[in-house]
Amino acid sequence: MSDVNDRILSAVKENIPQDKFSIEVLKPDSLAFRTSSDMVIPTIKAILTTSDDATLSTISSVDLTDRFELLYHLRTLGTIATVRCEIPSADPRITSITPFIPGANFAEREAADFLGIVFEKHPDPSRLIVPDAWPKDLYPLRKSAEMPTPDTVFEDITVQETSANTNGTIRMKIVIGPQHPALLEPERFTVDVDGETVTKVVPRIGYCHRGVEKAAESRDYMKDVYMVERICGICNSCHSTTFCQAVETILETDVPARGRFIRTIVLELNRIQSHLLLIGHAGHEIGYDTFFQYVWRDREIVMDLIERVTGNRVISSILAIGGVRRDIKESSIPTIKDGLSKLRTRSEFYRNMLDEDLTLKMRTENVGVLSRKDAVAMCAVGPVARASGIETDVRLEAPYAAYDEVPFKIITRDEGDSWARIRVRADELLNSIEMIEYAIDNLPDGDIRVRTPRRVPEAEAINRVEAPRGELFYYVKGNGTQFPERVKIRTPTLTNLQSVPRLTEGGNVADFPIAFASIDPCFSCTDR
Amino acid sequence: MCASKIVRWAERRSPWVLHFNSGSCNGCDIEIAALLTPKYDIYRLGVQLEPSPRHADVLLVTGVVTRQAAERLKRIYEQMAKPAFVVAIGACGCTGGVFAGNYPVLGGADKVIPVDVYIPGCPPRPEAIIDGVVKLLKKLEASKNE
Repeated sequence: MSDVNDRILSAVKENIPQDKFSIEVLKPDSLAFRTSSDMVIPTIKAILTTSDDATLSTISSVDLTDRFELLYHLRTLGTIATVRCEIPSADPRITSITPFIPGANFAEREAADFLGIVFEKHPDPSRLIVPDAWPKDLYPLRKSAEMPTPDTVFEDITVQETSANTNGTIRMKIVIGPQHPALLEPERFTVDVDGETVTKVVPRIGYCHRGVEKAAESRDYMKDVYMVERICGICNSCHSTTFCQAVETILETDVPARGRFIRTIVLELNRIQSHLLLIGHAGHEIGYDTFFQYVWRDREIVMDLIERVTGNRVISSILAIGGVRRDIKESSIPTIKDGLSKLRTRSEFYRNMLDEDLTLKMRTENVGVLSRKDAVAMCAVGPVARASGIETDVRLEAPYAAYDEVPFKIITRDEGDSWARIRVRADELLNSIEMIEYAIDNLPDGDIRVRTPRRVPEAEAINRVEAPRGELFYYVKGNGTQFPERVKIRTPTLTNLQSVPRLTEGGNVADFPIAFASIDPCFSCTDR
Repeated sequence: MCASKIVRWAERRSPWVLHFNSGSCNGCDIEIAALLTPKYDIYRLGVQLEPSPRHADVLLVTGVVTRQAAERLKRIYEQMAKPAFVVAIGACGCTGGVFAGNYPVLGGADKVIPVDVYIPGCPPRPEAIIDGVVKLLKKLEASKNE
């Protein structure tokens, strides 16, 4: 890892004068540069030169009362390099990086919504996540902000029109959502169409915004584990793992080997469940409901396994800071293996179907193509990036839980179309089954959990987990009490969603649902 | 009089259901989707999932009601032909659950629209949701005699 840090360091040293930045290390072992707000862009540009795939992970923003701290987390060479700067809270202004990293769009608008930071020269600084009727000068994540009670009614309910330019060429505007048969969750997409061709797509998120980041600051660490788990019902254990790992990094706790293996098993079961959900849902979106019903019938096998291992069907609630709460009994191992072998047969069948079935291929091939260049520019993560040929997987880059011991292979494809995004997941299914089998066969003996202190010291940590949809990113800052100072959550769909306009624009309007569903959107994650 | 009897009979025999997520974590939503699939197969009770509020008899609400979604939930309920019935699913739909008290959250579904059946759980098992729907059907059965 240190040679990677040296490469990043030399790139910054070459481009930035020595007296303009200082070096820090952000746990776990990633570089952080402190610089002034006017030197942020040159430093980011210098770090971006280290790799073709270098891009932004997210921007964390922290309220330090008299000033705001911004942390630009850049993903390059398999690690995270952070550029941090401070701006006065009286006049929080900084130049936008969206003009040269288009995928920073949502991250900046979110910081603007939450903390009131003004990103100058941002191409579309409209409201992204807080409700339309939210007062303009109330920024929820400022420590001084007084939150309204649920009974407070804000009068000015104005639906903001986020679609900016209508230069005469638009024939029709279709609003998809918040309630729409093609969407399982409420979110609004304004789709401009010319005849049958989609010309412009503007997403408006925030219908599921539950203020988790703010609420995490007022609940203690133990309660936060349960709350972050409920950010998303599909990738629930990924959220709790990332949060627990971030806190464990601050506390310098080592999780016992058995605990780490059980985490890996739970995370991979979670991935299988989520990928089967998407493969079935994709069938539904192209009107192939028989396929949907078959896949979901077989998904019940993995739901039973999750219930067997964790005690719950959906929200696993097995993670705890310091390990896991429930052991895998010797008596359930034959049942798990039996279930996995059934799943393998079925997954192979669906993978072959994706290769051979004409209906599936005709509706998904060359639909919603995302080029490798676009995927980097839009900061795509997970299967979306891997289907466009980018080799990115947190399990490989920064192994957590037991991923450094369990054999794992990265799956990429070069097509970049909807078919490739679904096909990557079909291969990952089989890979996950192998990983669980290995982890069960090599399950170490010993404790599953260690006790940890309730108070967390004044320190910060970032943590990443490869959720079913891609890199899930947490930034946790402690302040010496049992309550966190700041919890920043960047979910994979928030960043993948930015690719949707590029995927769908220029395509047929009837292909919108499948092109969109192929990124496996999860809005409850996105909105938090 | 006769027409309303037919409507009641149809509602009882085949309620058309609309699902709206007003700020859920997806946990309840995937359990509702699981209901439609072969293992639980809610179609056998005559239930049909319907995408348009104007054709639906029963509204399944999952999740807390967020400030952004509240207006839309109210509008969807108003669009439904009356009598319309509402089932709040999950701890969040019933009371606000783990998110109660957060700044963009108003609370459970009953903050905005009248609720007939509450199905608690985080998320409720598919069997519990089926049980809730059957209870609603029984309630309709009872109201037939009024």
